[in-house]
Amino acid sequence: MYQVEASKALLKPRLWARQSSRLRVPRNVIMLGAVSLLTDISSEMVATVLPMYLVFSLGASPLAFGAIDGTYRGAAALVQVLSGFTSDRWRRHKEVAGLGYGLSALGKVALVAAGNTIGGVGAIVAVDRVGKGIRTAPRDALISLSSAKDRLATSFGVHRAMDSVGAMLGPLIAFGILLLAPARFDAVFVVSTLFAVLGLAVLFLNVEGKPRRAPRDGAPPRPRAALALLKDRSFAPLLLAAAGLSIASVSDALIYVGLQRTIDFEPAVFPLLYVMTAVSFMALAIPVGQLADRVGKVPVLLAGHALLFVVYGILLMTSVGYLALAVCLVALGGYFAATEGVMTALAGGLLPEKLQASGIGILITVVSLGRLVSSLAFGALWFAIGLQSAVVVFVAALGLAMAVAAPLLFRAQRIAPNG
Amino acid sequence: MGSRSGRILFGLVAVCILIGAGYVIAAALGPDETTTEARPQTYGAALARAHLMVRAVDPANPRLNGRVYEIDGGKVKRRSGDLACERVYYAGGRGICMGVAPSGVDYRAQIFDSELRPIHEFALTGFPSRARVSADGRYGSTTVFVSGDSYLQAPSAFSTRTVIVDLRSGERVGQLEQFDVTKDGRPFDAVDFNFWGVTFVPGDSNRFYATLGTGGSHYLVEGDIGDRSMRVLRDGVECPSLSPDGTQIVFKSRIEESERWRLRVLDVETLADHAVAETRSIDDQVEWLDNETLVYSYGDDLFTVPADGGGSPQLLVRDASSPVRLGTGS
Repeated sequence: MYQVEASKALLKPRLWARQSSRLRVPRNVIMLGAVSLLTDISSEMVATVLPMYLVFSLGASPLAFGAIDGTYRGAAALVQVLSGFTSDRWRRHKEVAGLGYGLSALGKVALVAAGNTIGGVGAIVAVDRVGKGIRTAPRDALISLSSAKDRLATSFGVHRAMDSVGAMLGPLIAFGILLLAPARFDAVFVVSTLFAVLGLAVLFLNVEGKPRRAPRDGAPPRPRAALALLKDRSFAPLLLAAAGLSIASVSDALIYVGLQRTIDFEPAVFPLLYVMTAVSFMALAIPVGQLADRVGKVPVLLAGHALLFVVYGILLMTSVGYLALAVCLVALGGYFAATEGVMTALAGGLLPEKLQASGIGILITVVSLGRLVSSLAFGALWFAIGLQSAVVVFVAALGLAMAVAAPLLFRAQRIAPNG
Repeated sequence: MGSRSGRILFGLVAVCILIGAGYVIAAALGPDETTTEARPQTYGAALARAHLMVRAVDPANPRLNGRVYEIDGGKVKRRSGDLACERVYYAGGRGICMGVAPSGVDYRAQIFDSELRPIHEFALTGFPSRARVSADGRYGSTTVFVSGDSYLQAPSAFSTRTVIVDLRSGERVGQLEQFDVTKDGRPFDAVDFNFWGVTFVPGDSNRFYATLGTGGSHYLVEGDIGDRSMRVLRDGVECPSLSPDGTQIVFKSRIEESERWRLRVLDVETLADHAVAETRSIDDQVEWLDNETLVYSYGDDLFTVPADGGGSPQLLVRDASSPVRLGTGS
């Protein structure tokens, strides 16, 4: 598929070829982006209305919903590593990812058919979470294996931008349906199921399971080989750097709470913080990915984390106006654009082809554990010494983490095999 | 890519659009299903003294929940108006109705007058949890559950948000999270502060009591709206509710960090407390029928129990919640 595309590009006039080569991403990446876009529309539609459905149609207490929502988050981390390795071992990234997408689609069908008890909804949410855990690592491996090594960050940027478009559209579609047909949650679930089915269809019909860089011969990797990644000369420093950087990064949810304590804005504005950050992320993900491919992923990754200093700085200001708030949210969106996708692209470039999904699964797990530690630590510090002092500690921690991570990352990239 | 898969996908998209659009249109045009309306039914000896406003609950058809009824000495009257409330409270000529906004996916609070006509409205940022109005109808308070939900990364912890509203103007006076708190005379602040369950002091609507949850403790705080301040009184008190004479507070006492509670009553002067005869777990901000009797919801029904610890729980109203004492109550 890639060759067809490349030869087509050769046939085009030179100027056009040069311009289009800037945004040129493999068709497989666009298709995987479309799968994520459709799936995210489906999940976010349900996520938007589920609390209300539980409370108003099933008569659950909001706390019961909190319990349902919180219970299954931990399970996803383990699933990621297992599904990553399994898809490497079977060389079936598309099929394992398909299992994950399929489980989520099944969850939506179950919601239509049997979502009329609180326990039933709990089980369906659990299945959805497991599905998300299963699909992430093989999907990212497919993106990586579909892309030339010098285009990885652009590919991930395009995928993440499409993904977040879906996450924005989902709630809008759900609102639209409920405006037309008040309290008809079943209509939301039916439409959500259709989007999930379409996502699955694009995956199976239009995504190439054995893209360009996919390993085609050699023995299937053994578990020992995946474990050896933890000691790999280029991947281990990356993991270490990722762990340090994620621990020193305050979660966006805590940043929003912090901003709210600092500025006395209307509670109704609160959801807008998420929207502004998401819009800024959506707009920046592709250009930042292109930049990373041009000037190097490590400098962009470090610059992205440096944007957090802007966010921390604004949290330290005694009075924050709406201009500072906007700067803060744009910086936060830029931080997301320059970190998660770029980090995965960096890993995709370092990892051997036959262990892409395993390595990415390990990386995602390390980062999410780092974030958990970060949230617990920041909360405890806020409690013990106050918001301002906690932010000062995290400024120092981020400086330290970057000072340690920078040489690790540069070295990881330098000694990477054929990197 | 083969054109065969393209054709299959195109066909699938067409089929999905047809099914989806058809279903939504059918749902939008479908009958409203408002055939019967829930109607609370009354029981028990305490009825003679009961003069309440309640919200109707219909376990069989939750879409019909939330209509406002008045219960007066055993007579059940449907109050006019279209209010549909998840929580309702009323005093001194003004009330608060917390419910679903017309969009069907947001929440709002309506401030209404003695004829149940909405006079102000404001958006709520989460599920309705508690509503209270000061005895003179000057101030109101709403508590909602908020989920820290985020797409990019989501540590989803439930927290509460409580605001005080000037019911005459409909303006927000403040959010309790922004008030200053002192404990043992010293400033007290933490990232995990949550406030809920405001109860106003009868005869002095500038003062109130509420719950402050932090670090596993649930403090009773006494607050002052004018000073925007609160001070911690004691631990282990949730959803306080002052008696009409202002001398006692009924509250939820958590059973060892579980999601189960017992009702207890404390003396405002001494802060000493005692249990009441209700032994089931009650999750409600209890109302006072009069200075001697508590009324609260359990399941879909309202029960009464004496505040002094004697007697036993009695069924008062079936298919109702959010009890509000009307009149002076003494």
